[in-house]
Amino acid sequence: MTGEHEVTVTVNGRSRRSRVEPRRLLVDYLRHDLGLTGTHIGCEQGVCGACTVLLDGRTARSCLHFAVAVDGSDIRTVEDLADLDALHPIQEMFHQKHALQCGFCTPGFLLTTVELLESTPDPDEAAIREALMNNVCRCTGYANIVDAVAEAAVELRRGQQS
Amino acid sequence: MSSDLQGAVGQSVLRREDDYLLRGQGRFVDDLPTPLNTLHLAFVLSPYAHARIASIDASEALALDGVVDVFTGADLAAMVKPIAAQIELPGYSPNARDVLAIDEVRFAGEAVAVVVAESQYLAEDGLELVDVDYEPLPAVVDIHEATEPAAPQVNPTVPGNVYFEGRFATDGVAAAFDAAAHVISEDFHSNRVTAVPIEPRGCLAVPEQPANLVFYSSTQIHHLLRTALAEFLDVAESTLRVVVPDVGGGFGIKAALYPEEFVCAALALRLRRPTKWVQDRYGALLTDVHARDNHYRVEAAVDDDGIVSALRAEIRTNGGAYSAVPFGCTLETTGGARMIVGPYRITEYEYTATAVATHTAPVLAYRGVAQPVCFMAIEGMMDRIARRLELDPAEVRLRNMVPTAELPWNNVVGVRYDTGSFVESLELAMEMAGYDEFRARQANGRLVDGKYRGIGICSFTEVSGTGAPGWRARGLSRLPGFDSGTVKVEPTGKVTAFVSHAHSGQGHFTTFAQVVADKLGARLEDVTVVEGDTAAGPYGTNTFASRSAVTGGGALIRASEKARLKLARIAAYMLESTPEDIVVSDGQMHVAGVPSRALSFAEVAETAYAMNTTDLPEGESFGIEETDFYDPPLVTMANATHIAQVAVDAADGTVDIEGYVVVHDCGRVINPMIVDGQVMGGVAQGIGEALMEEFVYDSDGQVRTATLMDYLLPSSVDVPNFQIAHIESPSIDTVGGFKGVGEGGLIGAVPSIVNAVADALADLDVNVNTKPLRPALLSRLIRQAGG
Repeated sequence: MTGEHEVTVTVNGRSRRSRVEPRRLLVDYLRHDLGLTGTHIGCEQGVCGACTVLLDGRTARSCLHFAVAVDGSDIRTVEDLADLDALHPIQEMFHQKHALQCGFCTPGFLLTTVELLESTPDPDEAAIREALMNNVCRCTGYANIVDAVAEAAVELRRGQQS
Repeated sequence: MSSDLQGAVGQSVLRREDDYLLRGQGRFVDDLPTPLNTLHLAFVLSPYAHARIASIDASEALALDGVVDVFTGADLAAMVKPIAAQIELPGYSPNARDVLAIDEVRFAGEAVAVVVAESQYLAEDGLELVDVDYEPLPAVVDIHEATEPAAPQVNPTVPGNVYFEGRFATDGVAAAFDAAAHVISEDFHSNRVTAVPIEPRGCLAVPEQPANLVFYSSTQIHHLLRTALAEFLDVAESTLRVVVPDVGGGFGIKAALYPEEFVCAALALRLRRPTKWVQDRYGALLTDVHARDNHYRVEAAVDDDGIVSALRAEIRTNGGAYSAVPFGCTLETTGGARMIVGPYRITEYEYTATAVATHTAPVLAYRGVAQPVCFMAIEGMMDRIARRLELDPAEVRLRNMVPTAELPWNNVVGVRYDTGSFVESLELAMEMAGYDEFRARQANGRLVDGKYRGIGICSFTEVSGTGAPGWRARGLSRLPGFDSGTVKVEPTGKVTAFVSHAHSGQGHFTTFAQVVADKLGARLEDVTVVEGDTAAGPYGTNTFASRSAVTGGGALIRASEKARLKLARIAAYMLESTPEDIVVSDGQMHVAGVPSRALSFAEVAETAYAMNTTDLPEGESFGIEETDFYDPPLVTMANATHIAQVAVDAADGTVDIEGYVVVHDCGRVINPMIVDGQVMGGVAQGIGEALMEEFVYDSDGQVRTATLMDYLLPSSVDVPNFQIAHIESPSIDTVGGFKGVGEGGLIGAVPSIVNAVADALADLDVNVNTKPLRPALLSRLIRQAGG
């Protein structure tokens, strides 16, 4: 637990080289070392999904990974989705459909949705609910999130056609 | 002079909170930038439910590089007085809690020491090295066993483990039971649950000038917290500033005042350094306030038509090991006793309501408070009456309801229902659910394709917007009822509205702006809402118990009205007219009938702030900044009907919710989209409570559900889509006509689902009078019935 190791990761397109304790959780590294506080900690038990990030393109619980263990990886967090002028279409649909209330779990849902719609551009409701079942939201009752994901899928497909 | 609530109010305005939250730029307490010299706290939690603390040896922890100090209960007692709820009820035994246990622990998870370190990791390292020598003692966790003569005593000031016993009876109860054609009785058991907001609790205390301490906390009650910090830390309230950052869900459990907050603030002052504490999920499950460990024994006197002539209720609630601050352990007890009559014309009523102490986590507010349970009881009784008399459950309800024509109605405990739609909401919900068609299909048999299908109703009243008289009636004399609003037209004509609330996801920045824009006559986009900061705006009672639309909305309406009058006076002077003839709308003022000669808010504000060459009218003060307060009546009563359709799998006892209808009446709706969101989120929590969630102690008080793998929360595959409709019966007792909506989703979901499951299994002659209705329980009931 003593001593520090060097890790190099690409976070939101930018290469970051840091020295971290071997026990430092990826989520703490992102939040407190890099200042990317959009990734939240809800349980540190791998259940709630608030800490979900994309690790080499796949959703991962950043509370269950050590930063040293993802050396060399590519990580995307919620901060990478929007640009300065506009929200990402998934975020925009969460806004339009009132798919967030307190917003604490939302970053995890957004990244889970990114993964879903990259692999399944036209999911039906059952597929959406299945994909979202590993993220817990305590505010919305999910229905508006499901709607938002379905509408975002339409929007993203439209964007690819044009 | 215009400016009724017709414009922005009533529109599904999209939330202005969303953009920053969606970008990951929310500022929850653990996201706040901390000064480099911040100290981090970690609490040593008792593994025992009941034990004597023989000794605490912190020497190894103190030897660890980076651990700054370790404090025990005795150390903290010198800095913080014992915290106590202040309940003034006959029959209440008061009880105080040391912020860290001294000599004795009374529930698993109670904190006995705090480690202070240079980082969170080091603080948690220190935890492992604090050696506490406990001498375990017998514990009691069950609400019935707790009052047996041989039960271990939980608290020396609570004799016999009875915190409180309240009684009430009207004169004719005994006669009504004597005369009744039928007496129907039932016991209802409710599971202990907790809210589990996804953001755990936390706080950050930063000593700075001129306020001596800025205290950030994930609380719903910043003003009450500030007053309590001043009182229990014995510091001047004016030297404290409490700020609520974004809060990741509260649901009532963040409307408690917790020991960690007092410890964090006290240590920041003592050590003259910033201190920070954020709980982990294990600590959250063990130490957040719990709810709903209740037992109801209900007896109804009923005539041959199913009319209830009298009701008796024996209510017993588990208050846990300490009477939690600020509302006390009687919150569920008095709440259930006062609300159980619901929308029904029950005029003879008797209750005994008891709050019991046990070696379990303290109990306080969780969305709905007592109502999910008391309505499980009364709505369960309506179904039992129907089954006994072979009537339809909806018909029994309709026969007993107070019809709209008889409103206002004072219920049997003196609560006024000013307006409402009990009958109409039930009838509309039945139509939306296809209730009659469902019953027709069901007549051919409840078991189809291996599933028992049932339908369940919950028609209920929903307490919201409680004023000071309402709290006093429940012994909470030191709890105010009012909230405050300040409306300020800035020199540039933009509007800042301060309100004494604090959001945890409700969309206050949007909905309060809608109210102010309409009432002031401003453009919606020109109104900015500020809240959650004791340094910004005057005092208030804050955000819990479905208050904010009623109390904050009412206060802002009054303040907006004052500000609008001032705008009109200055505009009249500038336009050489009279204030009564000035129309204020859409951010402009003109003389009625002369819209071409309009002044903007900015032009009038320049005069108010002496930023042009026009003098103020004689006697007018500078600026445009108006404050007012609003204390609603006793309570503001919303109502709703929920209808759930379920399928219970005959083989494995799993429950699918195949249809869910809500007809809700919260008076005038500010933002339908947000109201629907509140309802759906509440129903999801109710589904969890009815079917999945249970916080379990074993008989020794050991926690069996210390992770989210054991305490199960509903996910996207457990919650259905909803059909929601609104009836608007604006309150005639409140400013603005608003009623609350925050809790109704949960209140209605629990009874409707329990009743639907009971209805599905009705042919099996099994008694469904408990929750959660997990597959193991239901499959056992089905097997036992030979189903």
